[in-house]
Amino acid sequence: MDSGKVKFFLGEVLRNFSRNAGMQITAIGTVAITIVLLGLFLFIRAALADVGTRLLDQIEISAYLRPDITNAQVAAIGRYLAQDPRVASAKYIPKREGLAELRTQTRGAIDTALLTENPLPDKFRIKARVPEDVGAVAATVRRLDGVSNVVYGQKIVQRLLQLGAVLRRVGIGVIVVFLAVAGIIISNTIRLTVFARRREIAIMQLVGATNTYIRLPFICEGMLDGVLGALVAIGLLAIARATLWPRLLEALPWVAMSAAPVDPRILAAGLLLVGAAVGILASWISVGRHLRT
Amino acid sequence: MISLHGVSLVYPNGVRALDNVSLDIAKGDFVFLVGHSGTGKSSLLRLLYREAKATTGTIVVDGIRVDRLRRNRVPALRRHLGVVFQDFKLLSDKTVWENVAFAMQVTGAHTRDVMRQVPRSLDLVGLSHKSRMYPTELSGGEQQRTAIARALVNNPKILLCDEPTGNLDPVNTTEITALLQRINLKGTTVVVATHNQAVVDRMRRRVVRLEDGRITTDEERGYYYLGLGQGQVLSG
Repeated sequence: MDSGKVKFFLGEVLRNFSRNAGMQITAIGTVAITIVLLGLFLFIRAALADVGTRLLDQIEISAYLRPDITNAQVAAIGRYLAQDPRVASAKYIPKREGLAELRTQTRGAIDTALLTENPLPDKFRIKARVPEDVGAVAATVRRLDGVSNVVYGQKIVQRLLQLGAVLRRVGIGVIVVFLAVAGIIISNTIRLTVFARRREIAIMQLVGATNTYIRLPFICEGMLDGVLGALVAIGLLAIARATLWPRLLEALPWVAMSAAPVDPRILAAGLLLVGAAVGILASWISVGRHLRT
Repeated sequence: MISLHGVSLVYPNGVRALDNVSLDIAKGDFVFLVGHSGTGKSSLLRLLYREAKATTGTIVVDGIRVDRLRRNRVPALRRHLGVVFQDFKLLSDKTVWENVAFAMQVTGAHTRDVMRQVPRSLDLVGLSHKSRMYPTELSGGEQQRTAIARALVNNPKILLCDEPTGNLDPVNTTEITALLQRINLKGTTVVVATHNQAVVDRMRRRVVRLEDGRITTDEERGYYYLGLGQGQVLSG
């Protein structure tokens, strides 16, 4: 490698970069804001998806049995559930056990000692192998002899999935707009540099520099804007994660959320790539426009 | 070395800058292009380094069909040419040395070659001792010599000069003219578009006259004014 060449090239890039520092800071700031939003969005999406899968996994079907059910009918339902391939597990819970469970779940908030009679029916607790089968299994079980009622968290799951879809659509729209704005600002910054260096570019063209060579420092400058913006954003996100995330987990203990729904390293690498790509694309376009005229 | 045949150039605004121009310039020639402003001298040079593209006709420069040259091949053509302008086109934030080296660096030359060629080029134009100075610290003549050093640093076979003495006083003009002659003696083909009567008349080299985009005369040892006699020069 010719170190003199590299030194010359880097010198040119740095000179460009420092020439209009104010504009560079604006560009970097815009990229940073965009990427913070993008990062937040990706993080929230991953967290929601995580919660969603957990809830879906946990979902179970409660098949309440008629009070007048016979032991033979209970056994028949048990046999049927055991041979259904969609069912992962099925457990018979007599009402006494059900009451004990309720007691532990509510931690004494309901004083079961006051009850003169157990109000709970006997039930089967069924888990489907895949969440998508929950509805179908529930429908089948409902038709079985001796089953009075079937309950599962259908509504909650649907709502959750719907919320996820809406959030994704809105989020993508916002991100696209912000990326476009960041791109335009980088592109304008580069155009200023191109303008400031138009004499140099003219001389380069005169002495036979290729367009690729002329373009390269500007592309690097745009990339630098994008990458620095992304680094600032990643720093902000890391701070937010370290300070706000544990509090959020604490504040919402019932939300079954894992501490790290996305690998922060993968997220950071992705954001860095997005920043670089926006910078490269924006500068490519603005220099290209100059070279063509 | 340079050959134009039936070349016309019509600018997009409809102005016909050159009209059916044919011209042959041999290797090692020294040619003046003379004529009033707007007669097509600069346009002719622009065609040669492919800043403009001929509307019709064929142009061959150092074996390259310039009129058919694709855009991405233009840099290759320009590395065979040195071009010098009236306004020098130097970069004010670079030293003399850096200005000259720039022409090599941006064409991807190896640092070793830059270190070897730049001093040679500066030596040729007599500016070795001012290589660390900035263009604003130099006289007009020195600035133009820097520009010539830059034009020559890639060892072109052809040097194109568009009014090289247009911004210079008589002393500097003489200096630059002598330099161009020296460069020509080393075998470089030199084409100079100029208004400067004194330069043309002193040199007594080939003079191609343009009027309204056409070549009107082409004299082997000509004067600025057509048919000007030896006596008139001496008395003038």
